[in-house]
Amino acid sequence: MSDANSAAKPKQKQRGASQAAVAWRRFRRNKSALAGAVIVGFFIFISIYGIFFAPYPSRSYYCLTNGCANLPPFVNWAHPLGTEYSGIDVFSEILHGALGDLYVGVVATAISVAVGLVIGAFAGYRSGAVSAMLLGITQIFFTLPVLVIILLFARIAQILVAQGLGLTLIVVILGIFGWPTIAFVTRGEILRIKELEFVQAARSLGASNSRILFRHILLNVMSPIIVLASLLVAGNILTEVVISFLGFGSPNTSTWGLLLQEGFLYVRTSWWVSLFPGIAVVVAVLGFNLLGDGLSDALNPRIRE
Amino acid sequence: MGELLRVENLRTYFFTEAGVVKAVDDVSFVVNEGEPLGLVGESGSGKTVTVLSAMGIVTKPGRIVSGKIFFRGQELDHASENEMRKIRGKKIGYVSQDPNSSLDPLYTIGNQLQEVIRTHFEVSKDEGWDRGIKLLKLVGIPEAETRMKSFPHELSGGMRQRVAIARALAGEPELLVADEPTTNLDVTIQAQVLELLKTLEKDLQMSLILITHDMGLIAEMTDRVVVLYAGKVAEEASTHELFQTPRHPYSAALLNSVPRLDRKAALVPIGGGIPNLITPPNGCRFHPRCAFTKQVCMDQIPPLEDIGGRRAVSCHRWKEIELRRNV
Amino acid sequence: MGSLLNYVIRRALFAIPVFLAVSILTFLITNAAGDPVNIVRLGIRSITAAQLEQLRLFFHTNEPVYIRYFYWLSDFLRGNLGQSLYTGSVASRIIPWIGTTLELQIPALLLALGIGIPIGVYSAKHQYSKGDYTITTAAIFGISMPTFWIGIMLIIVFSYYLPWLPAYGAYSAYPPYWWGSPFLDAIAHLILPLSVLTLVSVATITRLTRVNMLEVLRQDYILAGRASGLSEWKVTYKHALKNAITPVLTIVGLSFGTLLAGAPALETTFSWPGLGFAFVRAASTLDLPTVQAIIMIITLMVLAANILTDLAYAFLDPRVRIT
Repeated sequence: MSDANSAAKPKQKQRGASQAAVAWRRFRRNKSALAGAVIVGFFIFISIYGIFFAPYPSRSYYCLTNGCANLPPFVNWAHPLGTEYSGIDVFSEILHGALGDLYVGVVATAISVAVGLVIGAFAGYRSGAVSAMLLGITQIFFTLPVLVIILLFARIAQILVAQGLGLTLIVVILGIFGWPTIAFVTRGEILRIKELEFVQAARSLGASNSRILFRHILLNVMSPIIVLASLLVAGNILTEVVISFLGFGSPNTSTWGLLLQEGFLYVRTSWWVSLFPGIAVVVAVLGFNLLGDGLSDALNPRIRE
Repeated sequence: MGELLRVENLRTYFFTEAGVVKAVDDVSFVVNEGEPLGLVGESGSGKTVTVLSAMGIVTKPGRIVSGKIFFRGQELDHASENEMRKIRGKKIGYVSQDPNSSLDPLYTIGNQLQEVIRTHFEVSKDEGWDRGIKLLKLVGIPEAETRMKSFPHELSGGMRQRVAIARALAGEPELLVADEPTTNLDVTIQAQVLELLKTLEKDLQMSLILITHDMGLIAEMTDRVVVLYAGKVAEEASTHELFQTPRHPYSAALLNSVPRLDRKAALVPIGGGIPNLITPPNGCRFHPRCAFTKQVCMDQIPPLEDIGGRRAVSCHRWKEIELRRNV
Repeated sequence: MGSLLNYVIRRALFAIPVFLAVSILTFLITNAAGDPVNIVRLGIRSITAAQLEQLRLFFHTNEPVYIRYFYWLSDFLRGNLGQSLYTGSVASRIIPWIGTTLELQIPALLLALGIGIPIGVYSAKHQYSKGDYTITTAAIFGISMPTFWIGIMLIIVFSYYLPWLPAYGAYSAYPPYWWGSPFLDAIAHLILPLSVLTLVSVATITRLTRVNMLEVLRQDYILAGRASGLSEWKVTYKHALKNAITPVLTIVGLSFGTLLAGAPALETTFSWPGLGFAFVRAASTLDLPTVQAIIMIITLMVLAANILTDLAYAFLDPRVRIT
């Protein structure tokens, strides 16, 4: 094994490429991962182009004044998934909600990844008091009852910012609370990788610290982070759904959580308003979870073999 | 000198997602009493899988596809878990590679020894414990009584390897397999462990299979050698003859990659890597790395040819080529 | 034993910064608008002057922020959780909430461990089999569903469509009782929320157990155990399972906070009168003394769970004691 590694050392780039090729092959063979990728692709497509298919605009109470409120599904094909008491068309609203959930899931994750990478890299690459402190803060974050704090945060912000920001508020809050896992894993990976031969070699050749950090280490750190990010998107969508369901979200933007909240008001009579957006949530979250699991299998062959 | 273990035409394949890995492909050999055998080859050549197959503990997705296993002339049904369990620990003891992970970290040494002893002998717990102490003494662990109550992490690597050997001896096996017993140890500890193995071999009248990639260990510890390459036997010979006149280019290459004190010669590493065992090379599996490759080597699989004097070699050209230890 | 005690004390000391961090964070959020009274005035239009005055007194709004924090913290530590904006002393109301939440959470956790661990072991032992495939697929569905949504679906089916079980509350306040007696009535109320919570936790625990079990089954000591003639049963249950389960229990214990965090939505769905439901109502109505008290109590529960987990870990794994 060690021969193989040292032989490959001068051609680090090629090895990286072939590793990616191997990972891609493993990923393609993994049916559930492919299913995840297809679902995520579909979800993104719906989020962006859904508004063109949606028969009614976002948050439109069209049926309230046109006598088609509270229709059950599969009865009137102008409203395939039925309508709410308040006249909102469920099918349209699910299409509109996709963008909101994608926005929350992806952008909040991007914020967490950016923050987590910087903090984790710093804690892993430098040693000393600052890094110990960062590690401590990360651990404290792990112990926090995050969701209740997020909920309180969202509720207070709702009042103070007077709803002008809509979903962005939730995005920022989720972003702020999502970074610790990323930071923790980044730190661990960096501690591991910086002891590896090729980084030591680059160092002894006089590469500057920041160049080592970016060229060599971050490339290697990325694979676990991609996996975590995919799972974090799933988690963020679920959290957004909970926040909106409890009425702490933005009441003017279409999201699936908001639709579920409205559905719950009429759950006794209009089950379809609860069922269909829930299925949308499950499918989207499942997509990101499958993708994350599949990537993890593809990028980390150890568990599979 | 009786025959102890005989493996005939063993094939063990791993059915993975990526394809069928032919980890052991038609391997035969015999272990005789009092004639320590070395299984040598690079990592991935199938040494460990061969032995695990003989003990019936290949785990999924691996499976013994064909082959016969005899212990003292009796054929074992390798598909029968019950029959194979009687062999394990009781007839064949196994010491695994890494002393750092070969003991369960959550139980005391004593508990683990006692457990194995009571698996093989119907004795009381106290009796099992006392026998455990004796075993620890046998493998040269000081203060055996207190050590029984230690957890693995409280011992040094060398001590743990001794405990692992003690556990392998707990069923009083006739054959001990030591799988790279010294790879993960310090040099000084290595010597001690080897010394211990030699003593045990002599005192307990036990036979030994040594699995290693280290030709030095082979020379020191064994009388016969089976050289494995990519799941096939490349050459089988007495240790002395193999070192004198290797017949297979791979054996010669292995010997030439070992530093020697008596000659000033350049070390020649073997170029290339072990082939992919899902789609092994056509013909002789060694041909892509061999210096003597001809067309025939690429086309036909060389048979394992008995060349007399209890030697066998699997090479089309063993008669024509002149293999030299580099001088 | 001395070192074990040391270890526990060290872990307990870690609880202090966490507790302080949560208290500061909670305090800062509620003081985001300068002081909590402003938030309530902005958010609740029907608030009376008397209520605001009471809030001012409790939060000492005439003092600077950091002084207010210490007043509030020392009040909390002395058990003075203040007066709710609407319904009297917070402290007297919070204790039944804790009980009701635990009445749901603890059985769910135990059931989930009891069901999830064997399934995870089976799945790992039969990796790549149809059973394993079915289990992993079901489990990933399980972790992809919002807990409260499963609750809603069960309510629709088992409470509205088939009127078998109650959909709201933890008990009937007055007769007629479900199934004839107050005790059975409480059980009837427990079934749906407990099933939902168990289902979701089973998915998580199955996945955790499976991954850890696969990791452990690859270890040398498992091979060595088999090679020394131990039965497959002993190898699996005495050695592999114990090694695999230790990290599972640890992760479950340490993520008790996450489990409790699922409580607000689930308890709201079932109008289950526990901490989570109370939190949602209090946060909606900006009953800040209650909100703060609940967050702090949940934090204390999480910390207690963490310390218990650490103890269990030290008990299960001999290696911890020396580190």
